[in-house]
Amino acid sequence: MTALHRLPIAKLSALMAGGELSAVQLTRHMLDRIARHDGTLMSHIHLNAAALDEARAADQRRRRGDRVGPLLGIPVSVKDNYFSTGMPTTAGTRAPGIAFEQSDSACVERLRAAGCVFLGKTRTHEFAWGTVTDPVANPWDTNRIPGGSSGGSGAAVAAGLACAALGSDTGGSIRIPASLCGTVGLKPTFGRVSRHGIVPHSWSLDHPGPLARNVDDAAIMLQALAGYDPRDPACQDRPMPDYRRGLKRNVRGLRIGVVENHFLDRNLPSVQALFDAAVADLARDGAQIVRVQAPSLRYGLGAIFAIELASSSAWHDRWVRDGTTAHYTSDVRDLVEMGRLVSAVDYLKAEQVRTVMMEEFRGIFEKVDVVATPTEPLTAWRKGEWTVDIAGAPESVLAASWRLTYPFNLTGLPAITVPCGFDADGMPAGLQIAARPFDEAAVLRVAAHYERSHDWSARTPPGFD
Amino acid sequence: MFLSNDHPEEGSPIDPADLSGLDLPAERLLAVHSAFRPILDEIRKLRELELQAIHPAVIFEPTAVYRERGK
Repeated sequence: MTALHRLPIAKLSALMAGGELSAVQLTRHMLDRIARHDGTLMSHIHLNAAALDEARAADQRRRRGDRVGPLLGIPVSVKDNYFSTGMPTTAGTRAPGIAFEQSDSACVERLRAAGCVFLGKTRTHEFAWGTVTDPVANPWDTNRIPGGSSGGSGAAVAAGLACAALGSDTGGSIRIPASLCGTVGLKPTFGRVSRHGIVPHSWSLDHPGPLARNVDDAAIMLQALAGYDPRDPACQDRPMPDYRRGLKRNVRGLRIGVVENHFLDRNLPSVQALFDAAVADLARDGAQIVRVQAPSLRYGLGAIFAIELASSSAWHDRWVRDGTTAHYTSDVRDLVEMGRLVSAVDYLKAEQVRTVMMEEFRGIFEKVDVVATPTEPLTAWRKGEWTVDIAGAPESVLAASWRLTYPFNLTGLPAITVPCGFDADGMPAGLQIAARPFDEAAVLRVAAHYERSHDWSARTPPGFD
Repeated sequence: MFLSNDHPEEGSPIDPADLSGLDLPAERLLAVHSAFRPILDEIRKLRELELQAIHPAVIFEPTAVYRERGK
């Protein structure tokens, strides 16, 4: 019999609806796993003392016959940059004098309304800057990093310590840890999910979204999270599709674009081979593979640096001026201080490049329905390593780790990562699928088809069965 | 001058710290500049581009603050 922490949300929900499982039993099971494993993984920075009370309340709601969806009684965790009533928020910083309010962010509010039980807050790289998320360990090899900045969420979901978790993604921070930890990670379209109550990193790049154990769970989470919120000025009032409806469709006749430049330029051979095999499998299953180019990506790194650094420095400005940033970790301190060096002209040229890039992808989506890329050019690296040899040249792991994800933050397009295999060291790699704005249904459909035709998601990290 | 010609430092370059607003001790400023150098290499590429006809992806929306609050 499959262990509770490996069952999909829909199955857990069915067991609870049938009276074979209670939210209290499931929550106890997850809390026991956290107690057993999180001393090693360090995925949570705070555990919710009210988790079992919330589970009891969920069971009462079910007994009362409340008509709620599949998330009633499902234990989830929340990245430590989302405000949450009853659970403190630190955004991963220990700098003195910085405190955040204890009210619910829009996403926590929505999950609470859907009946989720909150297990706790997961660790983030400080202020969601960076891809290491110290001291969190990767469940597939605890000597390796989990990715970031939502590294705690990635490790917790991969190890079966939470049914799903919230992450946030400014340059790849949902998809990077999801890929490196072997989970599904979904960055919805900018404006699909409210950012209200999330500690800002970069206003026009921040995307909230879920990390989950499979594509159906990600769709269930998105269904609860998405929707208009006037408190987020970028949130759009658009119709809400049923995100699970198309998950059983195959990819026959679908046009899948492979962007030949940038995304295939500098990947580890092992990751490239897994991506090539995934594309071949999609073609075998009836998808039409179309080779395309996106030349403006040559300017993408400069553009995202200009926008992200300037925005982050503007938000941290009071703490730069009063010297609080001296208490940040050194990498984050450098980044939030150097944004002052980005000129307004360079910032606006970056925003012009963004328009060019969005136009270019619009052209691509006239030829294809989705694009497929590797999520990461590499797999999880060992803690303490700062460079990796790719294509015969050393490269900073931090620079490499967001290369294939940030284009979809600049363009705001929906993008998902789904596990697509393991390298020779047993570390997972991810397949990234992106689509037109607000076409989350397309990325979920392709990811679900791919997941269904492979057993990658069924594998569990050794020692975390 | 646009605003005033009564400026005591007129004729000398503006202090770079004043221009950027990054008023840090010299040693720290050097460290930030050093970390910024490879990033500047990427940002410099943007300056090669002729983008006069392209509207930046920034929208000024004067009705935004009139949206209903508190929901």
